[in-house]
Amino acid sequence: MIDLLQATVNSPGTTSASYLPIGLQVLFVVGLVGFLLIITHFLGPKRQTAEKLETFAGGIASHGDARQPMAINYFLVAILFVLFDVEIIFFYPYAINFRALGWDGFWAVMMFVSFFLCGFIYIIKKGALIWED
Amino acid sequence: MNALIISAVFGVIMMFTGIFVKQKPVTRNIAIAGVALLLLVNILEMSGIDFFKVHTAGFMLFDRFALLFNSVAFGSTLIYFILSAPDMEKVGHYYADYFALIFFILCGVVLVASFQSLLILFLGIEIISIPLYILTGSNKRNLISNEASLKYFLMGAFSTGIMLMGITLLYGATGTFDTQFMNIETEGTSALVIAGMLLLFFSMAFKVSAVPFHFWTPDVYDGCPTVFTSFMATVVKSAAFVGFIRLFYDAFGSIHDDWKLVAAIITALTLLVGNITAVFQQSVKRMLAYSSISQAGFMLLGLLALNATSKEGIILYATAYSLATIGIFAILLKMNDHSFESFNGFARQQPLLAGVNVIFLLSLAGIPLTAGFLAKFYMLKATLESGDFLWLVILAVIMAAVSVYYYFRLIQAMYFKEGDGNAIEVSPGFKLMLVIVAACLIVLGVFPNLLLNWLYF
Repeated sequence: MIDLLQATVNSPGTTSASYLPIGLQVLFVVGLVGFLLIITHFLGPKRQTAEKLETFAGGIASHGDARQPMAINYFLVAILFVLFDVEIIFFYPYAINFRALGWDGFWAVMMFVSFFLCGFIYIIKKGALIWED
Repeated sequence: MNALIISAVFGVIMMFTGIFVKQKPVTRNIAIAGVALLLLVNILEMSGIDFFKVHTAGFMLFDRFALLFNSVAFGSTLIYFILSAPDMEKVGHYYADYFALIFFILCGVVLVASFQSLLILFLGIEIISIPLYILTGSNKRNLISNEASLKYFLMGAFSTGIMLMGITLLYGATGTFDTQFMNIETEGTSALVIAGMLLLFFSMAFKVSAVPFHFWTPDVYDGCPTVFTSFMATVVKSAAFVGFIRLFYDAFGSIHDDWKLVAAIITALTLLVGNITAVFQQSVKRMLAYSSISQAGFMLLGLLALNATSKEGIILYATAYSLATIGIFAILLKMNDHSFESFNGFARQQPLLAGVNVIFLLSLAGIPLTAGFLAKFYMLKATLESGDFLWLVILAVIMAAVSVYYYFRLIQAMYFKEGDGNAIEVSPGFKLMLVIVAACLIVLGVFPNLLLNWLYF
């Protein structure tokens, strides 16, 4: 059973049949999700009201259209946040291997941080974070 | 490796130049110095001086072919900057950022020219494409520029998706991304390999705008600000070709017999459609867009033949085509509009510019004594050496004759038509540079080995 779920693709003689385990896992994942969705549909309690059919049933009556033009600053801040947030994630593996990587690792991370700072200085100097014009 | 790191660093330097330097000529000179430096360090690397000892772990291979093409690309970019950089000022406010994006594109060009792993090919193609989407749409108030940018983005993203699918299938079939170690069997090739190879072929055909994947090209080249069309149609296109040939030489050379008919049909279609459509164009810019498709047809012959001559040929072709096209675009940029009529009577106002323009056009048409002739000759020779495609060679020669019609229409307008045209102002330095480019084309047309010997020594 374990053999069936282990793909050995790096050894010589790999054929497309070696990918059978991956196919089995995909089938399992799809089957499990489908099964859970269907079973909650039958088991859970149901109370149908008109409010529950609204898109956001948060208690406050919704009004207006959400498709209005928004200030570009929102998008800019959001995309910059994602950018810098994802870069911070790279610190995590470094923090775990802090001792093992020694000074070489330290200088590599310093280089990374300096690139990071360059980008930060660039967006500040370009005025990407200024809200009032 | 020199050029890869320095081009990326220079991209960042240009970004900061935009903040700290307000004078446009200073920005321009920094960029020109940067490209000159890139050319220098790349030539140093060709003679064995490598500043950065980085272990590429089989991801990249800086062989003579890659390094020589890098030199050609940097040289063309240097000429392009000297000739056309002042015209970038008219496009928009972010002068230094345009240079930064071009440096990042050069970084991608290095990756595509020297990849050994399919991952690096993908990365390089993306690093080339994404700054180009921005440059295409850089004329923000112009609707046509926006349309071109969106079209290019959608088509580019789509073809990149196809490429990734191909890479995935190949990985599934061979278990490696490394093109040197795929070891695809000649007999009984698995269907996964064939499917992956075809997907890669189609996506690369998108990038080099081969027919029937060319529909985005005229619109994008026409809508893009003319300065950037010049760069896009030359350096970027030849880089995509070098990547294309490198990929098929390394990975699929052993199953050449399986795909050469597909390549032959696509080549024939590209030659036919590119040339015939170019005949009917009324705008010089759009004519050059179709001419770039037809020139792509000739470069595809090198892919089809896949031998040592075709490697030499593609380098010579990239040089001849890039230099001539950059020159014509530089002159076109000085005109007020892009129709053939605006060139009427040009020879009387600007005899020197008209003269060098004739040399560029003759080179594109492939008339002897110019580099364009020898480039076409090498391509046809490579095809004949590989055997069984005599009909394609004959078709290519006929199509080269057709191309003479639309290139000579411009010469006819300049010399034999009356008109006041546009009185244009150009600096002596601009004229000198154009004369140098024309001289390069003629010298390479007589002594191609000045360039090609670099492949071996």
